[in-house]
Amino acid sequence: MFAMRGIDKRYDAVIACQDAALQVEPGEIRALLGSNGSGKSTMVKILAGTVKPNDGQILIDDEPVTINSGRDSRQLGIATAYQDLSLIPTMTVLDNILLGNEPQGKWGMVDRQKSLDDVTALLDKFHLDCDPDAYVQTLMPSVQSMIEVAKAVFLHPRLLLLDEVTAALHSDEVELVFNVLREVKAQGTAVIYVTHRMSEIFEICDTATIMRSGRTVAHARIDELSLDDIVFHLTGQRPDTETLHEVETFEHDGRDLILDVEHLQLYPKVRDVSFKAYKGEIVGIGGLEGQGQPEFIRTLLGVTQPDGGTIRYMDAPADFRSPADAVRQGIGFISGERNREAMFPDRSVGENIFAGDAAKGALFTFLTARTVRDFAQDAVDKYDIVVGSVDHPASSLSGGNQQKLVVARWIAMAPNLLLLDDPTKGVDIHSRREIHKILRQCAEDGMTVILSSSESEELLDIADRIYLFYEGRVSGMLSGASKTPERLVAAMMGMTRENNGAAREAQSA
Amino acid sequence: MQREKNAHMTLSQRMQVFVRESPARMAVIISVLLFAITVAINPSSLNMSALSSIWLLTLLLSFAAAGQTLVLIGGGLDFTVGAVMSAAAILTTYVMDSQDGRFLLVFGLALAMGAIIGFLNGFCSVKIDLPPMIVTMAIGNVVTRMSYVLTQGSPSGYPSDKFVNSVIGKIGGFLPSLTLYALVLWPLVFFLLNRSRFGKQLYLMGNNPTAAELTGVKVDRIRILMYVFSAMLAAFAGMLGAAYMKLARCQVFDDYAFSSLVAVIVGGTAFTGGIGTYTGSIAGALLMTVLSNGLTVLALSQPVRNIVQGVVMVLLLIMYNRARAVRQ
Amino acid sequence: MIDIKQTFQRFRRTPAFVGFTLFMAVLILNIIVQGPGQFFSTRSINTLFSKNMPLLLTTMAMAPLLISGVLDISIGIQLALVNVVSIMSYQEWGVSLYVGFLLGILASLAVSALCWVLVSVLRLPGMLASFSLIYIVQGINVLIMDKPQGSIPREFYKTYDSLIGGIVPFSALFLIVVLGIWLYLMRTKFGRNIYAVGGNPRNAFAAGINPAWVQFQAFMIKGTITGLAGICLTLMTASGNPLQGEAYGLRALSACIIGGLGFGGWGSMGCAIFGAGFLVMIQNTVYYFFNLLYRLIPGFQVTSYWQNLVSDIIIFFGLLMTIVTAREQREALKQGFVEQFTGGARDAA
Repeated sequence: MFAMRGIDKRYDAVIACQDAALQVEPGEIRALLGSNGSGKSTMVKILAGTVKPNDGQILIDDEPVTINSGRDSRQLGIATAYQDLSLIPTMTVLDNILLGNEPQGKWGMVDRQKSLDDVTALLDKFHLDCDPDAYVQTLMPSVQSMIEVAKAVFLHPRLLLLDEVTAALHSDEVELVFNVLREVKAQGTAVIYVTHRMSEIFEICDTATIMRSGRTVAHARIDELSLDDIVFHLTGQRPDTETLHEVETFEHDGRDLILDVEHLQLYPKVRDVSFKAYKGEIVGIGGLEGQGQPEFIRTLLGVTQPDGGTIRYMDAPADFRSPADAVRQGIGFISGERNREAMFPDRSVGENIFAGDAAKGALFTFLTARTVRDFAQDAVDKYDIVVGSVDHPASSLSGGNQQKLVVARWIAMAPNLLLLDDPTKGVDIHSRREIHKILRQCAEDGMTVILSSSESEELLDIADRIYLFYEGRVSGMLSGASKTPERLVAAMMGMTRENNGAAREAQSA
Repeated sequence: MQREKNAHMTLSQRMQVFVRESPARMAVIISVLLFAITVAINPSSLNMSALSSIWLLTLLLSFAAAGQTLVLIGGGLDFTVGAVMSAAAILTTYVMDSQDGRFLLVFGLALAMGAIIGFLNGFCSVKIDLPPMIVTMAIGNVVTRMSYVLTQGSPSGYPSDKFVNSVIGKIGGFLPSLTLYALVLWPLVFFLLNRSRFGKQLYLMGNNPTAAELTGVKVDRIRILMYVFSAMLAAFAGMLGAAYMKLARCQVFDDYAFSSLVAVIVGGTAFTGGIGTYTGSIAGALLMTVLSNGLTVLALSQPVRNIVQGVVMVLLLIMYNRARAVRQ
Repeated sequence: MIDIKQTFQRFRRTPAFVGFTLFMAVLILNIIVQGPGQFFSTRSINTLFSKNMPLLLTTMAMAPLLISGVLDISIGIQLALVNVVSIMSYQEWGVSLYVGFLLGILASLAVSALCWVLVSVLRLPGMLASFSLIYIVQGINVLIMDKPQGSIPREFYKTYDSLIGGIVPFSALFLIVVLGIWLYLMRTKFGRNIYAVGGNPRNAFAAGINPAWVQFQAFMIKGTITGLAGICLTLMTASGNPLQGEAYGLRALSACIIGGLGFGGWGSMGCAIFGAGFLVMIQNTVYYFFNLLYRLIPGFQVTSYWQNLVSDIIIFFGLLMTIVTAREQREALKQGFVEQFTGGARDAA
């Protein structure tokens, strides 16, 4: 019996888990559900040993244990399968599955025959036709996901953690995994199953724990829950699926069409996205995390080239080979991953603000120190960025101020189209409101803004229209009267007409 | 806010902040200390000739380190500095051939040669997915071998007397006239790094290449440019070096590849890029020259000096490695 | 029943395929230029092995490092270290040359351990740290032996140049021994561990493997093979020289890269062997080609300067070629995806 009690975890200003609890018995398959920022991934990471909680207890058979590393987790009988794979791509399937557990043969060598037998038996169980000696990186992502699950099952764990492993799988493959799950369940393994697909929950899980904003808000048996109940616990809204339609037409009253995307494809995350943005609009992109939103935005920017579909920008085909091309044509990009994608931590605040101008202007004209400092000071004053001085390194700023800095950098370039990828993640509420105010002003001045966010309230608050992404497709577009929290939640959960049926069917089964 | 913090720190902490805030300052202080120790050990080493020699070599190393500074700030590494310097020196003596009035010709040829090699460095470092050290080392080897083949192992010619004088002549009887070249070159490097968008983009690219690309910096172009500038500056240094040595040998300046690296890193430029100043490199050059001088005064044999040089680099790497860990 | 097509397809996706193809191509070229009669003579084969065994072994020593995610470019200078330690202990202390060789190997292991501390424990950047070691070890070499000197008993170098049973070059024994040891190691847990550590240290650690310890073992293997390479060098030159060997470092590293080894988790000993073989063969080809030119064009001088230049140009082009071969591997990968997507039947429940 595995239990977590009173789990607290914070990352600086952000609370990931607050007094969260979870319990699972042998032979039970428990769904762990949560929307963006719910803390469910953190709970999994704690059990897997990659994150240490600030407070709380983990108990196995009523004995408290500490899990300091992946190794500890394994030794306690916990096996984890991740969505983004813990396989080593440059090694073979066989090596990956047996890693750390190779059967010993004569003279210190590994027993090759036994290895092959064991792994072949395992692959057969999953009906996988792949060559055990194939390099993992040569296999399709769906096969890799299956191997990831197989690897965890092979350890014969007491607790099996599956974190969104079915994301890349077809329904047949999902069924195969479920068969294996039923088998290990019969053998007494406890399973925690994390997913966002409602149909799967009703099919395979016995119980569910639902988390929201870091707290566990519900524990129940699946047969006691309805689909609407689940969504309500997840988001605080009852979904409105009654009058849903796929994509609503939108009256754009003569505004210029700035961005026109048709059937964009980017393997494997973006399946088919069509999207329009008009001048002076704030268009929101919402949905659960990892449904293709960041990949879509980066394709618009020119970071990656699409596998299919067309993009038209300012009434001409957009063929951006690199972000520099897009920037030159008047596109700006503000990333939520500040540290990795927007900040230059060792450079001064002034240089960070000036970075957009530095990237775009003439290379060898003389720049006085004053030009940069004045430019930066203007921005600091205008956007109320709290700094010691513009000469201090940018890493000395708080998260919210860093984000305002990035916004200032781009607004100063007066772009036609501003792309934002979850810009207010981890930003304090005050800075967030200020950034929203700035964006609204920009839109009024004629800038087109595309804002992808993991928080539905933000989108409802600030966006004129909202596209919802689900599994690489647009599951709904809300505008005007249809821009309600209930409709948003329904589209976010993939409960549009095509998916709706599947979920409800599974529930009644 | 900063001053409040200072008040609560111990002496050692305050010293650490002092060092980290300006490695250039630190390098100068250590140089002075080292020189003082040298003089204490051997009082006769304090004379005008020795001082002016130290200054001359410092200047030369600072010229070699100029390009290396650019490249390191941009996140790369130029191991062809030595090879280009040697090749430029050979080119200088050959073309000049003791004739006056050929300075501009040699200058043009040397810079052209540097530009070509630099472009090759830059292009390959962008296209080949290997550490820049390996790529530039391989190219440097080719340049060196080429110089052997073209000269059959014995380069010919001499720099002209006027040119030699413009380098080692003494202004006012003590200041090497190489300083005049510095008065042109140092501001040029300063302009490139601090007063041009190229320099700004270089720092951005070195500090966070992903963010730089997403901000619209054409990282490939900047990378190639920095290697081009580096090789051109090295070629110029090699030209002047030929005047200093009064003749050229194959591989005469090969050591400058490593010593320019050490000087730049001592001066505070991180080997990961994004941080550093040319002032620091100049101070680093001073420190390395004084150290070398000290080792000579101590009459240490060449192998021991080699070991010292290697150990210095390792210590620098350790010191800066931990500093980065602390920062994170 | 061996399915030839499938075996070939599988071989095509291994890392050694690239190196193998290059090697075979140049081998054939060499045979053509040198003349088959000349090439296949026992004397010519013997020289091929005995003169190039140090480079081959050095390249093989580099392989475990690259696979486990580290490197050591001072490996060339370590050859000289083994050389001077062997000769000096034999000369100055009067021990048997065998003991001298053993001391040489120990010296190589000591320096390897030092490199491990710098690169694996302290996590300093591999190229810069190991390049600094070049200066340090070179200094040590000269302190041990101040100028080229020394000699070894005749039996030693005569045996090295000899043929066993009139056919097999003695020097090839070194290759066989090292290869044998490596093949054994690959079949143990260690063989899997170095790939895991080099491919993804974090996942390896989660699977219970200690990266630093595995890299230590890799360094020790490298030190042993380097020791053997140094012994070969000593037997080959029959004297001591503290200043030699620097070029071996970059050559061995380049040979590995050309042969298909990556910087962590990708590649095999086959890559190293084929890469070194490629380098050797192409140098030979050029030499014989120049000889031909010399005979055809009067007054054409083949100096060692030319040979060195061509060697280094080849290394450079070899590195340049990795752009193409990397693209090749990516294409093979994509092909594999397409095949699985369109062809390949898979059982569904």
